[in-house]
Amino acid sequence: MTFQTMLASMSAGMLRSLAIFFLTLIFSLPLGMAVMYLRRSKYKVISGITKIYIAIMRGTPLMLQLLMWYFGPFYLFRWSIRGYRFPAIIIGFSMNYAAYFAEIYRSGYEAIPVGQFEAAEVLGYSRSQTFFKIILPQLVKTILPSITNEIITLVKDTSLAFTLAYNEMFSIAKQIASSQTSFVPFIIAGVFYFVMNYVVAFVMERAEKALAYY
Amino acid sequence: MKKIAALLSVFVLCLAMLSGCVTIETGSQTGGNAGSEVKEEPAYLFLDETLGVESYAIGFRIGDDELAETVSGALKALVLDGTYAKIGASYPDIEEYLCLTADGIDADSLPEKGSGDPDYTFKHGFDLDYPPYSYLQDDGSVGGLDVELCQAVCDYLGWGYEAVPFNWDAKDMELNAGSCDCIWSGFTKEGREDDYTWGITYSNNTQGILVAADSGIKTLEDLSGKVVGVQTATSAYDMLQDARADLAGTFADLKVYETYTIAYNDLKAGAIDAIAIDMTAGTFLISNDQK
Repeated sequence: MTFQTMLASMSAGMLRSLAIFFLTLIFSLPLGMAVMYLRRSKYKVISGITKIYIAIMRGTPLMLQLLMWYFGPFYLFRWSIRGYRFPAIIIGFSMNYAAYFAEIYRSGYEAIPVGQFEAAEVLGYSRSQTFFKIILPQLVKTILPSITNEIITLVKDTSLAFTLAYNEMFSIAKQIASSQTSFVPFIIAGVFYFVMNYVVAFVMERAEKALAYY
Repeated sequence: MKKIAALLSVFVLCLAMLSGCVTIETGSQTGGNAGSEVKEEPAYLFLDETLGVESYAIGFRIGDDELAETVSGALKALVLDGTYAKIGASYPDIEEYLCLTADGIDADSLPEKGSGDPDYTFKHGFDLDYPPYSYLQDDGSVGGLDVELCQAVCDYLGWGYEAVPFNWDAKDMELNAGSCDCIWSGFTKEGREDDYTWGITYSNNTQGILVAADSGIKTLEDLSGKVVGVQTATSAYDMLQDARADLAGTFADLKVYETYTIAYNDLKAGAIDAIAIDMTAGTFLISNDQK
């Protein structure tokens, strides 16, 4: 097998890895905000349950969670899971990453001095205005480095989707490495992850600079 | 209003957690009516048509001819003294595939019992997830046909035995780096003839197609338009990529799994129609499931 053939079959897998990556970000970033809101709820029941949710999502391996999201509906309700593979992967990744993002958001939220809220109230801002106009811009600034960390982890975590027979890039690398008795696919995979993460770090650094307005 | 919204989202989160608490059982789905006294038809069976035959042998580093010869010789000696058949008999699912017989073995050319260096430790490299050749047994210890055979070989020669379970994807690196001395784990020789120094072929195997008994699939032609699962880096996978690519072309989709356990769960859940797997591993999956 030539280098070109390897690269060609692996690039199909790269697209699948990227699909997980972007869809997970699209769903988990806003979902994390909602989880953070529930986690900070003044009702003990709501914040308590959310805490348990976060504890489970962070405390168990993502691979196990993927298995459960996929096979759960069948073993619990005997529903057909034909065609449910990709949705299950996205649900599993999004729910997991939302828990991490929620805690990052919370760290940013609680870092905001209480004087900001008081000032907004004095100026007659409503609660949603306070959040979107005063709090959110400051929050995003504070948490960007932590978010970058988490996104980089996500890039590498996409390889876990192979648990559910989803042929992302790293699983193809393993298949080629095995059938060709060659180490080259692993090197290609390493370069892919590195470039991908370099792009993430670059974009996030630009975002940080753009937000450094004071 | 906000309260209701919050309660509602908590409810959704609860549901999410609950569905996350399901345990995946490889255990019996048929177990529900396991108590029934009437012996039921098996839920899963192999098609009569097979994909092909392969042979299992012991792979050594290129150039380790002497070691390969010693180990093969010791295994032949175990055939003569009956240990080979005795170990095989404790694996009834695969016993019929063991191919070594006393015929044609020249007893004089074999290494003497206890002739090995007693300070030498033979490092047996294997995949811990390949039952019944090498796997974690019910009591949590490492076992399997290949593990027992290798231990018997070491006992015969007077060597120490060291189990080196590795990640199957890294087998070549482990072997070449010297962390193990051989790959002996239901290791298929076909297609890899030039990549290793091969020891003796001690078992045959047949690649087959596992389907649900009530699926209506009877022949390989029936697989056309169906979804078939296979484990990555297995001979069944290689066969469907290469020698039987024509057959794989008729499938609606070929799903590649990390392990057959997940593929089997998918078959039970009806998400795929068939599994391409070797007879011994497949038989083991079924019989273990019905325990």
